[in-house]
Formats: sequence, structure tokens, C-alpha cells
Amino acid sequence: MDPSALNSPDLQRFLNQEKEKAMVNEMVAKLTSVCWDKCITGTPGNKFSSSESACLSNCAQRFMDLTMIIMKRIQSMQ
Amino acid sequence: MDSFSTGSSGTGPPQFSTDEFMDQMKVQLAQAYAQEFLETVREKCFEKCITKPGSSLSGSESSCVPRCVDRYIEATGIVGRALLTSRSNS
Repeated sequence: MDPSALNSPDLQRFLNQEKEKAMVNEMVAKLTSVCWDKCITGTPGNKFSSSESACLSNCAQRFMDLTMIIMKRIQSMQ
Repeated sequence: MDSFSTGSSGTGPPQFSTDEFMDQMKVQLAQAYAQEFLETVREKCFEKCITKPGSSLSGSESSCVPRCVDRYIEATGIVGRALLTSRSNS
């Protein structure tokens, strides 16, 4: 492989986009896994109850809230 | 990285095509994401649907699994949308 091909701006843009997509995908996957465990307690039905879907949505948002709180806490300690 | 070089019957080094590389990467990434999703859904639905493994799947276990897959896909959508909302608010 010609190493100078790595400098292609198209390739760099592509790699950055895919890296971003992979990070988003990982976050969604992890959040879904955590929130599924917390919110879907019984046997899955033909649809979510309104409390189950509210729980999933709330769970994701509260998880993200935690990130900010934890970051600020750690920053305040330095 | 031979899989990324175009076959060339002539002399000289294999030609490296950025477009081909990107196309191959997209295919491999899509396959990797699909594989990971399958493994996650399998684990979650086994846990929810198969409480006492018997010598074969019972009727209720068999009907639970497709429902569970549908719900997990739906949950992924709900969580993904909630994530978008919180990202735009931060």
C-alpha cells in the first residue's frame, strides 16, 4: 500500500466520520443495554407499556446528566 | 493489506484505491455492527425468555423471543432518540 495514500483528504474525512459514528453507536448500544435491564423487568410483550417507554427515555437522559455531574465534580477536586 | 489492493496482472506494485478501501471498510463496519447487535439481543432475550432451559423450547418461550427482539429494537430507537435530545440540549 502506498503510504502517501493515507494523506488523502477524502480518506481522512471518511475515517473521522466513521470514528464518530462508531462512538455514537457504542454509546447507544451501551445505554440501551443498561436501560433495558433497568426498565424492562417482566417478559417482553407485544408493545411497551407507557411506563416502560417513559422509563427507557428517562433512563437515557439521566445517564447523560450523570456524565456532566461527574465531570464537574472531578474538575472541582483539581 | 492485500485485500485492499486491486488485482493487477501487469508489473509494478498493486494499485491502492481510496474509494475501494472506503467501500470495503463500510461493508466490514456494517457487518461488525450487525454481529454485535445480534449477540446483544441474543443475550438479553435469552435472559428474559428462557428462564428454565428444558429439553426443547416451550411454546411460550418460542413466542417470547420474536417479541423480545422487536422490543429491543424499539428500545434502541427510544434510547437513540433520547440521546439526540439530550445532546442538542447540552
